[in-house]
Amino acid sequence: MPNFRSPLLFLILISFFCTQLSCTETEVEALLSWRSSLKDPGCLTQIWSFNTSSDSCQWHGIKCNEGGSITNLSISANCSIDGTLNKFNFSSFSNLTRLEVEYKQNLHGEIPKEIGTLRNLQVLYLYGNLTGEIPATISNLSKLTNLDLSGNQLTGSIPSTILSMPKLHFLALSGNNLTGEIPTTIENPSNLKILDLSYNHLTGAIPRAIGHLTELTIFYLDNNELNGRIPLEIGNMTALRDADFSYNNLQWEVPTTITQLPNLSILYLNNNQLNGSITPDLGNSSYLKAIDLSDNKLIGMVPSSLCSGGALRYLRASNNSFNGLLPITLKNCTTLIELKLETNNIRADISLTFGVHPNLEDVDLSQNHFYGRLPSNWAKQIFLLSLGENEIYGKIPSGFLNMTQLQLLNLADNNLTGDIPEELTNSTSLMNLILSNNNFSSLRYIQAPSLESLHLSNNRLVGRFPLLQINWARLMTIDLGENNFSGEIPSWIGSSFPVLRILRLRSNKFMGNIPLQLSMLKNLQLLDLSNNNLTGPIPNTLSSMHTMTVKTAPNQSYFALHYVHEKNIDLIWKGKEATYQENIALLTGIDLSCNYISGKIPDDLMKLQGLIFLNLSRNQLSGMIPQNTGNMTSLEVLDLSMNHLSGTIPLSISHLTYLNMLNLSHNKLTGQIPPGSQIQTFIPSAFSDNDGLCGFPLPNNCSTQNNSVVPVTNEAEDHKFEVIWLICSVILGFVTGFWVYFGALFWKNSLRFAVFHFTDKVQEKIMKWFV
Amino acid sequence: MAIWFLPFSSVLLLVLSFTSPVISSNSEGDALHALRAKLSDPNNVLQSWDPTLINPCTWFHVTCDNNNRVIRLDLGNSNISGPLGVEIGHLEHLQFLELYRNKFEGKLPDELGNLKYLISIDLSENNLHGAIPKSLSKLKSLRFLRLNDNKLSGPIPRELSLLSNLKALNLSNNDLCGTVPTDGPFSTFPPQSFANNTRLNGPELLGLAPYDFGC
Repeated sequence: MPNFRSPLLFLILISFFCTQLSCTETEVEALLSWRSSLKDPGCLTQIWSFNTSSDSCQWHGIKCNEGGSITNLSISANCSIDGTLNKFNFSSFSNLTRLEVEYKQNLHGEIPKEIGTLRNLQVLYLYGNLTGEIPATISNLSKLTNLDLSGNQLTGSIPSTILSMPKLHFLALSGNNLTGEIPTTIENPSNLKILDLSYNHLTGAIPRAIGHLTELTIFYLDNNELNGRIPLEIGNMTALRDADFSYNNLQWEVPTTITQLPNLSILYLNNNQLNGSITPDLGNSSYLKAIDLSDNKLIGMVPSSLCSGGALRYLRASNNSFNGLLPITLKNCTTLIELKLETNNIRADISLTFGVHPNLEDVDLSQNHFYGRLPSNWAKQIFLLSLGENEIYGKIPSGFLNMTQLQLLNLADNNLTGDIPEELTNSTSLMNLILSNNNFSSLRYIQAPSLESLHLSNNRLVGRFPLLQINWARLMTIDLGENNFSGEIPSWIGSSFPVLRILRLRSNKFMGNIPLQLSMLKNLQLLDLSNNNLTGPIPNTLSSMHTMTVKTAPNQSYFALHYVHEKNIDLIWKGKEATYQENIALLTGIDLSCNYISGKIPDDLMKLQGLIFLNLSRNQLSGMIPQNTGNMTSLEVLDLSMNHLSGTIPLSISHLTYLNMLNLSHNKLTGQIPPGSQIQTFIPSAFSDNDGLCGFPLPNNCSTQNNSVVPVTNEAEDHKFEVIWLICSVILGFVTGFWVYFGALFWKNSLRFAVFHFTDKVQEKIMKWFV
Repeated sequence: MAIWFLPFSSVLLLVLSFTSPVISSNSEGDALHALRAKLSDPNNVLQSWDPTLINPCTWFHVTCDNNNRVIRLDLGNSNISGPLGVEIGHLEHLQFLELYRNKFEGKLPDELGNLKYLISIDLSENNLHGAIPKSLSKLKSLRFLRLNDNKLSGPIPRELSLLSNLKALNLSNNDLCGTVPTDGPFSTFPPQSFANNTRLNGPELLGLAPYDFGC
């Protein structure tokens, strides 16, 4: 039994007791004083509280060692603290091994240099709105294994010593504003297993010292501004599994040493400036799962060994200059899920390209030089198939219809013939059917209820309007232009297409009246019925087409997602053909030209304040141009030529400040062309062949009234003014001179005598001289 | 070695000349994009100006000719503010520059003189200041020059009297000084064209008073 009366023993006991409490006490005090420095302590008020536990080591997020000293400090995701680390007393926490502040707090301010004093720290994870530079003192943390500062707003360069920290095996700095170069001194050999520097503004080249990263499995440098070459030394990174260098400015060739990497599984090099060709044995020694080479300047053949590992699922090489043939080994690549080679120069027989692909879902080979006939063996589960802009011919084979999940089918711009199979047009999965610019000759009724866009333009299709009267709840685009469709435009069109944006029936043989019900299409932006045989009047209810009445709101954005697969519509405005791409989302226009439409232009039409182009030319319209034409303030193009319009051109037309194309020629318009600086930018041919029109820019002046705003020269007036002045001054001069001389003579005798005397003398002299 | 240089370089030049139309369409889009970057556009009038498109010819308020060169820019009454950038000089085929009734500020760029096909300049009703560039005298096709209702200062460049095609000139409501030229097209312009310039001293009196009297 210990002798408590022994002072030494007592002291020992007391000190032991004191170390129990006082070590933790300083740490607890530091915690609480930091908490009180926070603008908003969030959940810490509750969880770091002696009410919940008198032992601080039991607090949520806190762990202590046997001595009661804090080793782990973590602040969880929902804590919502708001403050800085400036008052965090790092030196109190000498035993801290893990410091984790999780997503997403408002932890702002800079990382204090004092963080380098946490000499036992192994794991540091700070996620917030931290700013300023990464302090170089972080390299003093000699035991640090994991460093994650992703998702802050850190600036400045990465400290040069950070890749030399011997124990570091996880380093993530992604999603900051870091600049400067990647440090070139890397520990050799390095223990790093994961290195993520993506989504910053790093510049310069990838250092050659990456060859020291022999343990690295995950290497993300994407979304920076790195340039220069990918170093050959990448071949020494034998553990490399996932490499993402996409979205940089990397140049030159892909190093051949990449083929040595035995564990390479994911390789993303897309969206750089890489050139040259890729070595054909890429993929030979590894089990490549996904490769993306898109959006570079690569040439040569698509490497043939990509699939040799038997694991390739995602192959993307679009938007390059790959040429030549397609490697036949692709046929045996049974693991493929996604194949995207669009926009290259690949020349291959499409019927020989595919083998058995039980997992294939997404194929895009468009914009190449594929030729031959479509094969029959299509994988059942393909849902995106794009073969547009190639040289494929023949008919759609029945094997096509095995694809029961097909959502997007793009065969446009080929030489396909025959009929469009009923199974395709009745498919329940089909959302985008794009078959324009081919030679398809027949079509049964379309009854695909999920359809969002239908592009059949420029084929040889015949028959009546091919869609069935159902509720097409998603259909946004109908393009049947440049075919031989006939019959009337159905009146149920207004009620069956609630979200229709584009109706293009141009260049067919549709007849009858334009249905009034068209005005029910609230979302319609483009109505192109030109070049048909339509008769009757323009419906006077078009102002209910809501989208055309609204000027583009300041924040209206492209209606994006649905249009991601098809962006091209051919329109003719401003006198020439233009293919509309993404801008189509903002365009509004009505084209009814080249028909037999009669009657007046309805006043109602002028309520379409959002309308950008209006073409009613080449019809039989009569009556006056509505007086309130100036209300269509968004109008850029107005073509009313070749009609029988009479009366004067409304003055309000000069309010159209965006008008850049105007054609009123070949009508029966009279009166003065309205004044206004916008109107004066148009040439005389815009007004020609109208018997009664006068005024600028036509050469014939209007005979009446003042043309004060028209810049007729005032030269004639000025000239007249000058002449009058001249005459007046001459007369005045003469009169003055006359009276001065003769007046003096008349009134003053002496002068008179002197003058007569002088003239007599002169007379004598002259007579003497002659005689 | 040198002997190969000649055919090679001529082939290169030939190739480059074919690619140049493509290059210049895009450079006009780049110029417009750079112009836009300096502007404030609260009504989002320039929303359609997508620089990723192959040329600016499908942009609203931009009109191109059949070779995809920009010939018109119609942005009147759009509530746009900011400077008129020097990049305007890259639109070498521009014929109509209609930017009236906005809040353009800063000076008129000298580069306007590079646009030799210009027929109409309407920058009236803005907040432009500084002098009228002498380079405008190079615009031989110019018919309409409207700079009224701004804060332009300095003299009316004499050289503008060389523009024989000029039919309408409006410099009223500015802060111009000196005298008004009287030769060439200036003999046809009515006094309203120069009204409300308090420091403008009336028509120049040839030989009797120095030209920039009071400027």
